[in-house]
Amino acid sequence: MDKGLCTGCTLCIKACPTKAIRVRDGKATRVGDRCVDCGECIRVCPKGAIKAVTTWSGEAELSPYSVVGASPVLYAQFGSEVMPNDVLIALRKIFNYVYDQAYAHELYNAVTELYIKGSRGKEEAVWPMISPVCPVVNRLIAMRFPSLLKHVLPFIPPREFAARQMRKRFQQKKIFGDQEAVVYHVSPCAAKMISIQAPMFTEKSYLSGAVGINEIYDLVGKHLGEEDEDLILHVSSGVGIGWGMSGGEIAGLDDVTALAVSGMQETIRYLEKLEMGLFRNIEYFEFRFCPEGCIGGPLTVADKYQAKGILQKFGDMFGQGKRVRRSQVQRAYQEGWFLRETKPIGRVKEEKRLPIAEAIARQDRIESILRKLPGKECGQCGSPDCRTFAEDVADGVMMPESCYLLRFSAV
Amino acid sequence: MPILSKRFSIKARDYLRAGEVAIEVKSILKTIGFDAELIRRVSICAYEAEINAVMHGGDGTLHLFVNTSAVGLVVRDSGPGIENIELAMKEGYSTASEEAREMGFGAGMGLPNIKKNSDSLKIDSEKGKGTLLAISFDLKAG
Repeated sequence: MDKGLCTGCTLCIKACPTKAIRVRDGKATRVGDRCVDCGECIRVCPKGAIKAVTTWSGEAELSPYSVVGASPVLYAQFGSEVMPNDVLIALRKIFNYVYDQAYAHELYNAVTELYIKGSRGKEEAVWPMISPVCPVVNRLIAMRFPSLLKHVLPFIPPREFAARQMRKRFQQKKIFGDQEAVVYHVSPCAAKMISIQAPMFTEKSYLSGAVGINEIYDLVGKHLGEEDEDLILHVSSGVGIGWGMSGGEIAGLDDVTALAVSGMQETIRYLEKLEMGLFRNIEYFEFRFCPEGCIGGPLTVADKYQAKGILQKFGDMFGQGKRVRRSQVQRAYQEGWFLRETKPIGRVKEEKRLPIAEAIARQDRIESILRKLPGKECGQCGSPDCRTFAEDVADGVMMPESCYLLRFSAV
Repeated sequence: MPILSKRFSIKARDYLRAGEVAIEVKSILKTIGFDAELIRRVSICAYEAEINAVMHGGDGTLHLFVNTSAVGLVVRDSGPGIENIELAMKEGYSTASEEAREMGFGAGMGLPNIKKNSDSLKIDSEKGKGTLLAISFDLKAG
């Protein structure tokens, strides 16, 4: 957060799904440990005062052992005439090695299918299963819906899987001699860096860093204009590429009853419903926190609906069959290649858990403070809404007089 | 003994907002810090009762009570009332309107689900006089 640019306007505190921001002394400030790195505040800030944390510090700083995989959202940023292969070749001019991450999506789809079909009729299976792909959704579940953690498919996300496979291959073939590869992920997502620093499904991330699509857009664009090279790096079909938009992941699941939900409000609403035990007849939920899926990510450049059109066109062009070898998938499944390495843990709420009697008394205090508040949800006190303000007052963090309207009506 | 009591109103035939009261109840119980299984049971009952009131009710209210030994829900509606309570408790028995079914509700699982997920359920209803559900959940000591 750039305090110099912040005007204390309250847009970000209202946008935050975990109420992790307050305006204090006229500036937006993060409170507690609740941020899930969704990037909504980045999206709404009119001054550009909030920035995502990434690893990109320019081409000159790149390691000579750099390897890159990109979200297929990158393929859809340069208009409908630029093919995925062109983008991969342009990336190849910046990084030492490049792989088509969309192919890992297809493998992932095939293994998920096997897992779901194998779980049918099993007593210990928990339905519906939830996709572990969106890092914001994972964190949101851990923070606000910990009872749903057991629904999350026990796989590591495909970006991690792909990075692990690349590392293995580089080591086996001694491509960089004894040097370890530095694997980057080009992403539309504000949460990828945190998912690399503090992964939820692996001991340690197999990725070394995240690069925002907006950070590398001009550089890729510059290389796209250069002379064509005869090199085929694009191996995925329309299935893996389609993952860039909402519904893309479940489109790759054959014979599975699945739903796709995207956008902040809808995601939260459906997680609430799942937590109440609804939708037991659905086998798999794809959640993407950003509207329309990853193409709506905060670090993109192209308009999300235009990007969607391009991905749909690629879908027609490259077909809807997964380009994976069944025998390879079977082996990967049986050997547990995709299984996550650690159990995801719900984050402990920063407020200490009160004994029940005290917690009920606190809640009663909150409700009675709330009844006195004007309920205009204006945010002028610096808390996102009246309920959160009431909580802050009940906890003694804020004084009731901080409510302008309350003060005004008293006068 | 600290008691929390909160009243919510339910609007009949507002299918778009159906479920919002249950979500609010759930969020209050989560803030207090009850265990996930109890919260799931209470919120599914609140949800089913809310949907019933939305489908059949005139307008209604849901009252949430919490103290250290129990959680209670009292749901009132001014709808047509239940003609045959015994029949209404059967899974799959439904008197829901065409409209409710088109919205994906009215599968005849509401009351049976409440019965299954609560520790006690009392129904007071008469044809033409509306319905009152009193649902409670015991809190285990500790």
